[in-house]
Amino acid sequence: MAKKQAEIPDFAPIPEELEAHLGEPSTVTGKAARALLHRYPVWPVLKFFAHKRVPQYRHSYWYMMGGMLLFFFGIQVVTGILLMVYYQPGSPWASVNYIVNEVPYGALIRSIHHWSANLMVLTVFLHLFSTFFMKAYRRPRELTWITGLGLAGLTMLFGFSGYLLPWDELAFFAVRIGISELEKLPLLGEWAAGIARGGSDVSQETIGRFYALHVMVLPLSVMGLIGLHLLLVQIQGVSEPDGFRKLPASQRKYRNFFSDFLIAEIPVWLMMGALLVLLSALMPRELGTEADVFAAAPDGIKPEWYLLAPYQGLKLFPGSLELLGMLVMGLVPMALVVVPFIDRQIPADARGRLVTKIGVLGLIGFVLITAWGFFS
Amino acid sequence: MNYPVWNVPGIGAGLVVAIIATIHVLISHFAIGGGAFLAVAEFWSDRQADGERIRAWLHKFATFFLVFTTVFGAVTGVGIWFSIQLASPEATSLLIHQFVFAWATEWIVFLAELSVLYLYYYGWKTNSRSFQRFLAAAYFVIAWFSLFVINGILTFMLTPGSWTLQNHDIAGAFFNPGFWPALFIRTAVMMLIAGLGAMLVASRLHDDALKARIVSFSAKWVIPAALLVPLFGYWYWSTLPGSSIDLFQSGATGVGGGKMASINRFFWLSVISGGLIMVSTMVIALRPKALHTSAAVALMLLALFGVVGAEFFREMARKPYVIKDTLYSNALWVHDATPEQLAQPYFSASRWEPETQPLSLEHGEWVYRLQCATCHTLNGYRGLKGYTAQWTPVSGVRFLETLEAQGVMPPFQGNVDDRAALTSFLLSLDPERAIAGSDVKILYEQAQEAQQAPQAALPFVGSLLLAAERGAQGAKEGLR
Repeated sequence: MAKKQAEIPDFAPIPEELEAHLGEPSTVTGKAARALLHRYPVWPVLKFFAHKRVPQYRHSYWYMMGGMLLFFFGIQVVTGILLMVYYQPGSPWASVNYIVNEVPYGALIRSIHHWSANLMVLTVFLHLFSTFFMKAYRRPRELTWITGLGLAGLTMLFGFSGYLLPWDELAFFAVRIGISELEKLPLLGEWAAGIARGGSDVSQETIGRFYALHVMVLPLSVMGLIGLHLLLVQIQGVSEPDGFRKLPASQRKYRNFFSDFLIAEIPVWLMMGALLVLLSALMPRELGTEADVFAAAPDGIKPEWYLLAPYQGLKLFPGSLELLGMLVMGLVPMALVVVPFIDRQIPADARGRLVTKIGVLGLIGFVLITAWGFFS
Repeated sequence: MNYPVWNVPGIGAGLVVAIIATIHVLISHFAIGGGAFLAVAEFWSDRQADGERIRAWLHKFATFFLVFTTVFGAVTGVGIWFSIQLASPEATSLLIHQFVFAWATEWIVFLAELSVLYLYYYGWKTNSRSFQRFLAAAYFVIAWFSLFVINGILTFMLTPGSWTLQNHDIAGAFFNPGFWPALFIRTAVMMLIAGLGAMLVASRLHDDALKARIVSFSAKWVIPAALLVPLFGYWYWSTLPGSSIDLFQSGATGVGGGKMASINRFFWLSVISGGLIMVSTMVIALRPKALHTSAAVALMLLALFGVVGAEFFREMARKPYVIKDTLYSNALWVHDATPEQLAQPYFSASRWEPETQPLSLEHGEWVYRLQCATCHTLNGYRGLKGYTAQWTPVSGVRFLETLEAQGVMPPFQGNVDDRAALTSFLLSLDPERAIAGSDVKILYEQAQEAQQAPQAALPFVGSLLLAAERGAQGAKEGLR
């Protein structure tokens, strides 16, 4: 039967090395796999995916961060679509109130969306810092690192834009403060703030903009950039840290990403999924009172925890020093972008070690300033 | 409330008990199921050509098992006693006094269980094979009996059956409606957790072939159990009181200040965790050598989340009681909750009479600590600051007046002064809404007068309607 098919010119022959992976030709799966591969000779594509392997050592769980981010993003897409079914940008607070109090499991879905956003941002930080300290950004992976930074930025923007949509008191004032910081930037600040707000202050006009950004522009951009990021990783393979490279070949152990590593990842993702339900059950996201544009800002309004570091950091530069503060805050992402072009030596040289030390200081500073902002 | 000494800010006494207890439940179920695993694996290894290799692994498993269950199991077990007697002395005392023989049995069983486990573990090299198999099986039987005993006491709290405070029907209390289905659920769950524990230990193996065999063997403990739990769960569900089902159903919509039924969310947490354990285990069973320790830890955490969901569900299904229909969660006895007794000035009925100025903030705080703090915190878990964010002085006092109408709350104990003092204390958590207790009382009394004034001028038909409504309310209360 197989011979007969192979004679038809449109049918591609199956490479011999592939035969071993397809199972017995007599089984249903074996037959289906052969029938599909005859018609769609995607073998090179499969081969392209099959070559990725993950180094095995004590800290190889750090390689799970990217997959976990993809999982959280998937949760955001699914719960986001469900929320969109009832959310109305024309009457934001009332529609979220309806979701929370009337829609069956609406409060649960909203809480999961909230917690997944928070864990996603946390995982972005873990992924970023682990990549940084493993020095995976070095040649030839500069572009992968930069696309990753872009994704981190888009994730923050996702959080910031989604924060406004429920249109409760907290959302309104936190976003108002956030945009007014943007406004203080020299040259383009006022212009950018005006575009973001759709006027001189945060209003219902702003909702439309943030909504379009949150459900259309950002998802499309993130999906495109994730595709590129993953493609680059797939082409170059997973980076190996210096300590692992130094090992003799016999001691360097690897696991194939498809399917060994992926199979180990799936329970971790699913556990995270259950963790979202646990957090939502213990600490459901509450909806505050509807935003009153004319009310005075209540005490203690702060941005979300992941934006606290720049927010609180600016307080170190009071008065006329604020511009300097913004410059310093702006230098951090700039430094991250250029780090692959400064630290290039494999294994790390003195400059590489210095970059690591600066990174450690940066991480400690980030955690301390965030904690200071959180508890102040 | 007897002893208002334990104030746990942020978390609350109830959550402290819950955190310790859920960890204990995970470990204790592993301690029993793991015994069955040891016994079956002993037999299994005897039938394998390389039985010695498998037993070498089994020794690693036994080491993990012994340390994990005896150290953490014992610590958390004692922790439960410490925390429950502080959080709910009345309920703890009731359980001890009603089930004296059950506790005595439990203690002896526990001693026997540990002794047999030590004989098994420390006799690994010297005992004969048949004696080892016997010890493993004996350990499991004894450990399972400890579950049998504690299960009677646990299920009693939600479904006391024919028992009442007066008739002391201990057999009815022990073999209550929830007893058998809960025993079956827990038996299935412990097999599941045993399989997951074995997978965790096996994930450390470097020999891929051996790892794959042991992981496949362990997965067979997980999947059937995960299928059985929903079946037994359905049986358990059929024994639940109607009030629990109502509470569950009201929780599909609303949150926090809405309908207060987080029981629903915890139910789904257990269902989702259980389902995900099954999916994960099946994925791993496809390629058992791929099991990484992080995946095995994730599975254990999934089991913990499932336990959290199920145990919270069980605890919340009792609301507002700690012993169904007998003792409210804040230590108010149902037989003391008569309208006359409830209306007494609160401190005169309480065994502790703190010295406070009437209607002062201290007065309100003491009412909070004695009546609310068993379950609530001020600004954390079930935080009252958030729950009362929409309160006004008048609506607060009125809410407390009909507290039991919430379905999940016990009736308020005390008079208008106590209610006004508590309302003032809770409102003052937000400095912008701070108000003196005496002002709350005045506002409330004015509102009451204003409400009654137009009623006096009601035409005849209107007052008839009002009387009919009151009659219907009275009839409803009578029915209750």
